[in-house]
Amino acid sequence: MTKYLLRRLLHGLISVIIVVAVVMLLIYSLTDREKIFGGDPLFSKKSSNVRETYKYEQWEKYGYIDYVTYNEYLVSLVKNGSITEEERAKAAEIAPLAETKDVNGKQVAELFSEKDSPEASKLIHQFVDYYQSKGYNVVRLNADYYSVRTKKLNNGGKQVMFTYKNVPLVTRLLKYFGGIFSVDNIHYVNEETDIGERKLTFTLHDPAYTDPKTGETPFSPAIIGNGTRHKYLVYTDSNFPYIHQNLLSINMGTSYSINKGVDVFETMTTTQGKYVKRLITYPTGLVEDSADDLHTATYSEGSHDLSETISDRFTDDYTNVSTLKASKSKIGFSFVIGIISVVLAYMLGVPLGILMAKQKDKLVDKLGTLYIIFIIAVPSLAYIFMFQAIGRSLGLPSIMDVNNESWKMYILPIVSLALPSVANLMKWLRRYMIDQMNSDYVRFARSGGLSEGEIFTKHILKNAAIPIIHGIPGSVLGALVGAIITERVYLVPGAGNLLTNAINANDNGVIVGLTLFYALLSIVSLILGDILMATVDPRISFTSKAR
Amino acid sequence: MNEMIDLTDLNMSEEELFSHVDNDSLAAEKITAPRYSYWHSVFRVFFRKKINIVILILLAIIVAFAYIYPIFSNYDRFAHVLVEGGKHLTPAKAIEMHPNDSVIHWILGSGGAGESTFDAIWVGSRLSLSLAFVCALINMVIGTIVGAVWGFSKKFDLIMQEVYNIIGNVPYILLISVIVMILSASFWSLVFALTVTGWLAIAYFIRTQVVIIRDREYNLASRCLGTSTLRIAMKNIMPFMVSVIVTLAATEIPSYISYEVFLSYIGLTMSDISLGKLIGTAQPSMFTPGMQLEFWAPVAIASIITIVLYVVGQNLGDASDPRTHM
Repeated sequence: MTKYLLRRLLHGLISVIIVVAVVMLLIYSLTDREKIFGGDPLFSKKSSNVRETYKYEQWEKYGYIDYVTYNEYLVSLVKNGSITEEERAKAAEIAPLAETKDVNGKQVAELFSEKDSPEASKLIHQFVDYYQSKGYNVVRLNADYYSVRTKKLNNGGKQVMFTYKNVPLVTRLLKYFGGIFSVDNIHYVNEETDIGERKLTFTLHDPAYTDPKTGETPFSPAIIGNGTRHKYLVYTDSNFPYIHQNLLSINMGTSYSINKGVDVFETMTTTQGKYVKRLITYPTGLVEDSADDLHTATYSEGSHDLSETISDRFTDDYTNVSTLKASKSKIGFSFVIGIISVVLAYMLGVPLGILMAKQKDKLVDKLGTLYIIFIIAVPSLAYIFMFQAIGRSLGLPSIMDVNNESWKMYILPIVSLALPSVANLMKWLRRYMIDQMNSDYVRFARSGGLSEGEIFTKHILKNAAIPIIHGIPGSVLGALVGAIITERVYLVPGAGNLLTNAINANDNGVIVGLTLFYALLSIVSLILGDILMATVDPRISFTSKAR
Repeated sequence: MNEMIDLTDLNMSEEELFSHVDNDSLAAEKITAPRYSYWHSVFRVFFRKKINIVILILLAIIVAFAYIYPIFSNYDRFAHVLVEGGKHLTPAKAIEMHPNDSVIHWILGSGGAGESTFDAIWVGSRLSLSLAFVCALINMVIGTIVGAVWGFSKKFDLIMQEVYNIIGNVPYILLISVIVMILSASFWSLVFALTVTGWLAIAYFIRTQVVIIRDREYNLASRCLGTSTLRIAMKNIMPFMVSVIVTLAATEIPSYISYEVFLSYIGLTMSDISLGKLIGTAQPSMFTPGMQLEFWAPVAIASIITIVLYVVGQNLGDASDPRTHM
């Protein structure tokens, strides 16, 4: 059994990899990569050549291309000793206006120019030859003059030269899967940066819990790192599961526009809503009423001296903290609504399905069938709107408000999610039970003198429930994914709309991350369903021996 | 106490009384069962239920309104955009506003561009219905053929299982939006998006049905007698599949209408007006007093269309099952 399941899991993981590859192919190769800048305020602020290079920098950051500027190349040559710093300074000055040629009606700068100084010319040749031999495209952008006579440049119009190459799918895929899990270590911070001794310290008194009044620290074990990405690698608090870690982090895909620079996993799991303010003691000893969560501090080079507000609070460059918010995370909202509706659906759907099968062709069965037809045929959007209108007229809140939570606002989303699943359960359970009712073993049981009630509960229901049980893990895990329409209609701040939002915003990192998440969930729930089915029904076995 | 007839009383000769009947080998082959025609029986069973006739008439009315009415209504969304105070009107006010038009145009009031809601609904229904019919036709044809082969060939099964696992896990919305993004949001690109992988689920369903019937005893017997696979597929399995296919089509056609409504709602609309687009654009007027009809009318029509199509299909599916013909 274990061997079989492991093989299935492995098989599933391979298909997950292929799924991610297909999705990557779809979004990186088939869609217009300029579109990712649609909602980027930094992009629209930039102009001229800087805007052009910004695009390439972002594309490199989000895995589209490999990108090297001429200056970066020169710096690397200085580092490995091929040229001196003086030579670099001379060579870096490329001519502002190279000769141009006509490409599809546009004037494009030639790579090599007569106007370049001999030092520059030599290295430009070297740069172009080196990268072109590796299959890169070299681009030279001429200075963008506001006025050629006064040599005044347009904002961001300085001449630049760079080279880029599209990242092949296989490399991107390997890089993606290689980077999913990352273990924090003391070499995270650039080796050349002086941050004092790189080490991990174990303390029994976590300084983040320093009492603002007395200055004492209660017993609270923690592991604090220096040189790592996170300051707190392990810490304790009063929330489940009490011991938390930042040592191993999951990177499923960095967002570009939905939640810039933040990983999908974090986007789904961070709290939302109102800030939770309380008195905290910052590392400098400053006591303040703040929502900052010091345990989330991550390293941000040079940030300490950026502003006084930061240097007043922190003693080092671990200044990047997130804030505590009062409400659930995206996944939290989706899961609470989803899981309650699943429980509700099974509680209603199973007895109703049994009742329909028992009273076949009577009034209950006919009413049930009418309801099932309604749910199956009518567009789901239409009946969710109907539920919303009915709920509203009953005085229930018809939209969710994160800042003003009440249990009432959960009712309509839960009902809207549960009622269709009830119909589905009724339909299948009725079908399975009626199929079982006509089978020979039921006739045998009846002729053996068993009462109808006994036959129903002990024989028919047990057999009919097996395919229903198979779907339970799927519906429970499916609650994590959230529901697109329900969440949109009721403005639930859940995870269900993340994918559609990411698609609309061309946020490729999020799309890939979510695809991975969904695919993993679907595979795990299928396997769990099989395990559950085999536990309930001893006749089902996955090993060939037992057969 | 039976009365005995004395043959001599009849005054007939022996030859007149008895004649020799030979063994007729042709007549012996005849089966004295009532005449059975499959399709005749399907319609007999279908029309036996009175409700089916009512629903069929309803379907005919809907199809007529969707495909014939727009020819006469000359719908133009922006034809009335300049009419002052002509937007978001209740039926009574809209009829008053346009005294020269026939009442039927304004029976549901006017929409956000001063257009007739009633006309818009039927233009939208035409597009939604066409989309559903075209997508269902393409998917059903490809799905049934692939599914039949998939069910019969073990080698093909191994490959297709993998394809099914992979494609099934690629988010459907992502695929559709990427295709719509590349090909522009037109009717045919949406058809392409909905059919490029849509047949796979149907093929899988058909495959499962074929696998179930394929190994039944009567097919085993047929194979032992030397029937070719093609003949088994066409003569032994196909008749069983007709009701399955019709029932499947009954859920498929309405599901494309629902899908179109859903896609419009999340922003993947066609450029032309459809039921989904109507519902999506009118959503803000859902709770606005006096404007609710704009929203609820297309919702109601979409629901009626899907229910009617579903019920007709289900009942036709039941009627096409030979077991109901007794």
